[in-house]
Amino acid sequence: MATTTAAVTLTSDLLSDAMSVTASTTCMKAGTTADGLDQLEYAVVEIATGDEYDLICTTPTASKASKLYVKNHSIDETYYVAVTQNAQAIGRLYGGDWMFIPADFHDAAADIAMTSNGGTNKIEYALFHEGTVLTTT
Amino acid sequence: MATTCTINISSDAAPGFGGISESMTLTQAGTIVDIDSTTGFQRRKLSSTGAVDLITMASENIEPKDSVASKVYIRNIGDGKGNIDKTVGVTIGVNAEPIGKLYGGDWMMMPLTCIDADDVTATPATDDTVVIEFVMFYEEA
Repeated sequence: MATTTAAVTLTSDLLSDAMSVTASTTCMKAGTTADGLDQLEYAVVEIATGDEYDLICTTPTASKASKLYVKNHSIDETYYVAVTQNAQAIGRLYGGDWMFIPADFHDAAADIAMTSNGGTNKIEYALFHEGTVLTTT
Repeated sequence: MATTCTINISSDAAPGFGGISESMTLTQAGTIVDIDSTTGFQRRKLSSTGAVDLITMASENIEPKDSVASKVYIRNIGDGKGNIDKTVGVTIGVNAEPIGKLYGGDWMMMPLTCIDADDVTATPATDDTVVIEFVMFYEEA
């Protein structure tokens, strides 16, 4: 089986006692313990300011265990992309920010969309999934 | 007063994929000033399939600025007794919109709007006990 692991280290000294969290997970197909995510969509795109685009080109199979990584590689800290799913605002990724989420794409409208602000934002994304609805020619 | 987060992803799903290793310092919106507020690290034990708020944005305990650079880290740590079940999932949502399902051991890091209606919710798929750890970083209004 394919093996995809995602590890995180989070540290903060905002509290009196410094916080440090580490975690690692092996990304499995939905509801399984023996079969890992085995398909990947990986790209870098530039989104001009004011433009909104769906990030994922093909719709992954709904309600599975897809994992989505997105990073805003803009070097200007005032640039950001506004992230929405199914028209619901999620939040903003400023230059240098990244996110990593489970994305179950529960219906056809549940795309992840990015709206670029401040200037052209350079976005890297990787979607680990277990199948997509491919577009026929 | 820095808050940093590092991710490392490795995968053999594609032979040429070299992995991802990135770090970010959580800053206030549009600046290089460190983010200044946090809910602190919390955990919530769930034992039924009903949706619960992990973070209620209109809570008087926190008053984050809206639509800036807030982030939340959430992890499904299993039953809290060291047993992690990859088949037990908890759907994380924002304002009733399902974002995705965290199976046992899975974690996520995502930005938030912190608008009052945009509560962060958790909905277990089963009645099995599952514990969710989370922490939000935000800018004080």
